[in-house]
Amino acid sequence: MSEPAEAHNRTDEDLAQRAGAGDRRAFATLLDRHYDRIYRLAWRWCGARDRAEDIAQEVCVKLAQSIATFRGDATFRTWLYRLAYTTAIDHIRANQRLVTLQPSDMLSLVDGAGCVMQDDTIEGQELWRAVRALPPQQRDAVLLVYAEDLSHAEAATILGCTEKTVSWHLHEARKRLKTFLEQVA
Amino acid sequence: MTNKDLDSLNTLPVPPPRDTAKSAALSAALAAFENVQSAPQASVGNVRPISQSQPGTRRSIMTLARQHYALAASLAALVVAAPVAFQISQSERNAPLEIVRAPEPADHGLAKKEVPKLQSEADEKRKIASEMIATDSERQSAAEVVIAGQPASAPSIEPLPTAPSPPIGPSRDQVVDLVGRSQIGVTDRPGKLEQRPSDGLGAVQQRPIGVLPYDQESNRIAQSSEGGSEDARALAPRAATNLAAPGESRPNLHLEGGEDRDRFTAADQNPIKQTAADPVSTFSVDVDTASYAFVRRALNAGRLPPQAAVRTEEMINYFRYDYPAPESATEPFKPTVTVVPSPWNATNKLVHIGIKGYDLKSTERPRANLVFLIDTSGSMAPQDRLPLVKNGLRMLVDELKPDDTVALVTYASGSGIALEPTKISEKSKILAALERLGAGGSTAGASGIEDAYRLAEANFDKSAVNRIILATDGDFNVGITEDGDLKSLIERKRAAGIFLSILGVGAGNYNDRLMQTLAQSGNGVAAYADTLNEARKILVEEASSTLFPIAKDVKIQVEWNPARVSEYRLLGYETRALKREDFNNDKVDAGDIGSGHTVTAIYEITPVGAEKKGVDDLRYAAPAKPAAPVVAASASNELGFLKIRAKLPNAEISTPLSLAITDALSKPALSDAAPDVRFATAVAGFAELLRGSPHLSGFTYDDVLALAGPARGDDPFGERSEFLNLVRLAKSVPR
Repeated sequence: MSEPAEAHNRTDEDLAQRAGAGDRRAFATLLDRHYDRIYRLAWRWCGARDRAEDIAQEVCVKLAQSIATFRGDATFRTWLYRLAYTTAIDHIRANQRLVTLQPSDMLSLVDGAGCVMQDDTIEGQELWRAVRALPPQQRDAVLLVYAEDLSHAEAATILGCTEKTVSWHLHEARKRLKTFLEQVA
Repeated sequence: MTNKDLDSLNTLPVPPPRDTAKSAALSAALAAFENVQSAPQASVGNVRPISQSQPGTRRSIMTLARQHYALAASLAALVVAAPVAFQISQSERNAPLEIVRAPEPADHGLAKKEVPKLQSEADEKRKIASEMIATDSERQSAAEVVIAGQPASAPSIEPLPTAPSPPIGPSRDQVVDLVGRSQIGVTDRPGKLEQRPSDGLGAVQQRPIGVLPYDQESNRIAQSSEGGSEDARALAPRAATNLAAPGESRPNLHLEGGEDRDRFTAADQNPIKQTAADPVSTFSVDVDTASYAFVRRALNAGRLPPQAAVRTEEMINYFRYDYPAPESATEPFKPTVTVVPSPWNATNKLVHIGIKGYDLKSTERPRANLVFLIDTSGSMAPQDRLPLVKNGLRMLVDELKPDDTVALVTYASGSGIALEPTKISEKSKILAALERLGAGGSTAGASGIEDAYRLAEANFDKSAVNRIILATDGDFNVGITEDGDLKSLIERKRAAGIFLSILGVGAGNYNDRLMQTLAQSGNGVAAYADTLNEARKILVEEASSTLFPIAKDVKIQVEWNPARVSEYRLLGYETRALKREDFNNDKVDAGDIGSGHTVTAIYEITPVGAEKKGVDDLRYAAPAKPAAPVVAASASNELGFLKIRAKLPNAEISTPLSLAITDALSKPALSDAAPDVRFATAVAGFAELLRGSPHLSGFTYDDVLALAGPARGDDPFGERSEFLNLVRLAKSVPR
C-alpha cells in the first residue's frame, strides 16, 4: 500500500487480511479505527476506566498476534468482538472476589461481584450495576445486544451459543432486572 | 424492564479512555505486530530451561525489596506467583508464556500502559533476554525493573513502578524496543494469574502444586530452559503463534476462562525415576473417568483435547477389564500383575497392575440413602445437560431397590427441595418430581449443597450408603465459591459418613478442577457425561460401583528392586501421588474402589543392563549398595514389590496386601498378554500421545490402533470400538 489515504477507505475485512499478511499500515488503521470500540466494550463489562484501558491494551496486543488467523469466516467486527469479549471475561473472572453469600442477599453482589473499582459518578450507574450483577451469561447477552447493539445472531456467535439461547438469556435478564430495580427503588 | 430501558445502555455515556492509554495500547499492539511479522513461526522452538528458583535470583530480589518498599509488594507477588505460573505454563505447552500482574501501583495515571505492570513468570528468561538486548536507556524504565527482577544490575532498578513513571511518549523506537521485549508477557491469557495482594487467587492456584508428585520441579526445569542464549525476539512469536484465535478453537489449556471456559488442573507428567535414588513409588487409586469423556468430546468436535485435560489413569480406567475377582467381600480386591515388553521402547518393559474390586451381589448391597443435587441454573437448559441428567437419573431409579430412598434438591437462583426423601417403592412420585425439574436462574451451589446434606443427614442410616450425587455443568456462581470452604464442608460431611459424587455435563463452562477437588474430598467419583449413553454407563451400569464402595482410601506402593530395574516411570496418576510415608498413615485420604470396579496402573521400567537410559548414572555417587536388604537371596527374580493398603468401608484402620512382581509374571511378547492388558496398554499409549509425552519413541496413533484393534474382546457396549474411532479421529486432526 503506497497511499496512506487508501488504507482508510478499505473495509475492515480487507484491512484484516492485509494485516494478516504483514501489512503494518493496514494493521495500524484497523487499530485506530477500533480502539474506541474495544475500550468501550471493556468498560461496559467492568465499569472502571483503569481496568477497561488494561483490557483494551491486551485486546490490541492479542489482535496483533492473531490477526493472521482471521479467515473472514465472520465479519471482522464479530471476530474482534469475540476476541475482546473473551479477554474481558478472562479479566473479570480473574478478578472476581468470590464471597460467601446466600442467594437471598443478591443485593450485596452488586457491590462485590465482578468489579471492585467502579466509576461511581457515571450516569446510569444503577442500571450498569444491575446489569453487571446478572449471572454471567445473561449479563453478556444484555451487554452485547443492548449496549453494543449487536444482533442476536452476532451475539450468539460471540457467546458460542444459539440465537435462541441468547433470546432466552435476555428474557431471563429482563425479568431479573425488573425485580432488582424495583427493589432498589 | 423493557427493551427501551435496556436500549439506554447503548446511549449511556462511557467515560472516554485517556489518550495516553490509547496511544500506549496502539504502540504495544504495533510492536507486537512487528514481532510476529519479523519472527518466522518456524523458529518457535522449545524454551530452554531455566530454574525458577535459583537462589541467587531470590536473594537479589529480596535485596531490591529491602531497598524499596514500594517495589517489595510487587516483587513479593512475583515471587509467589512465579512458580505457579511456571508450572502451569510448562504443562500448557501451547502457551508457555504467562503473565503475572503485579499489584497495581497506586497511580493509575500516566504511563500506566507501558507494559511495566505486566510481568511474566518467565521473568528470568526475560531477564536474560533483556540483558542481551536492552543495552541502553530504556533500561531505566519501570518496566525493566519489574519485568526483569534482575538481580545483579543495580542500575536497572531505578525508577520504581510507583515512582512517577516516565510520562508517556518515549520516542517511538523506545516504545517498540521496550514493548517488543515485554510483549512476551503482555499476551496470551492476560490477567489470568493476576496477583493482587488482597485476593486469594494465588493461593488457590497454587494448591495443585502441593500435590505434584516427585521431583516435578526438576522435570519442569529440565523441560524449560537455561535461557542464556535465548533471544527475546525468538521467544516472542511463541506466545503469538500459540494464541488461540477467536472463532477457531485451538486445543489449549484454559485455567481461567478463554474460549471454552473448561478448567483443568495442570499436572506435569511423571518423570523417569532412578531406582537407585528413589526406589519407592506411592500413589492413591483413581477410578474417575471424567477425562476420557472430555477427550472424546473434544475429538468428536474435531480438535485435540487440551493436554492438561488428558489424565492417563482416567483414560485407562474408563474401560472395564475382566481381571480375576476376589472370592469374598472380606478380601475387598485382588491385584493381577503382568510384565510385558514396552511397545514404544524396545529395551523397556511395562508393568501392568490390574486391581479388581469385589463385586457385591445385589442382595448384599447396603440400602442406599441418596440425595440428587441437581443444578437447574439457566445454563443447564441445553439438551446435553439437564435433560441428560433427568434421563440418567430416571434409569438409575429403575435400578435401585424398593428400600432405597431418593431425595431431589435443586439449586438455581435459590435452592429448593424438589422431593423429600422418598422410597423407591413410590417410584411414580420420584419420576414425577424428576419430570418437573426445569432449568432457570443462576447457580447457587453452596446453599444447595447445604440443603442436600441436611436431607441426607435427616435420613442418615449408618448401615446404608449415604451419598449425594451432584449433577452440574460447572460453576458455582453464587454462594460459597471459595473452593476451600466448599471442600472443607464436604470433608466434614465425609467424616460424618456422607459421601459426594459428581456428575458433570455440558462443555464450555465445566469446572473440572473444582469438580475433581470436591469429589475427591467427598470420597466420590467425578464423572463427566456427554451423551445419554455415557449417563447410562455412569448412573446405571456403574451405579453399584459408584455408589457402593467396597474399600476406601486405597493406596498403592511399589518398591523397585535396584538390582533388576534401573529406572521406572508411572504412567498417569500425577494428581494422585502420595508421599512414601503417607502409605502407612491412615489419616491420609486416598481414592475408593467400588463394587466390581477395576483399577489399572502401568509402570514403564528400564531393566538393569539396558543400553538406553533416560537418566545418566551419577559419576561421583557410590554405586548402589544393597544395604542389608530384607530379601537378598530371592530378590534376584523380583523386579519389585507391590503393596496395597485399603480400609473396609466402615473401618478406620487399613489392612495391607502385598505381592512380589517376579519374573514368573513376565510375558516374552506383548501379544502373549491377555487382551485386557494389551488394550489398557493401547489406551495408555494413546493418552501419552495426546499429552505430548516425550517418552514415546516413534509410537504413533497407528500403533495404538494396531495394538487395541485385536484386543477389543467382547466389547458388549461398543466402548472399545468407540475408542478405536477416537484414535482415528485424533490421527486426522490437523496439527
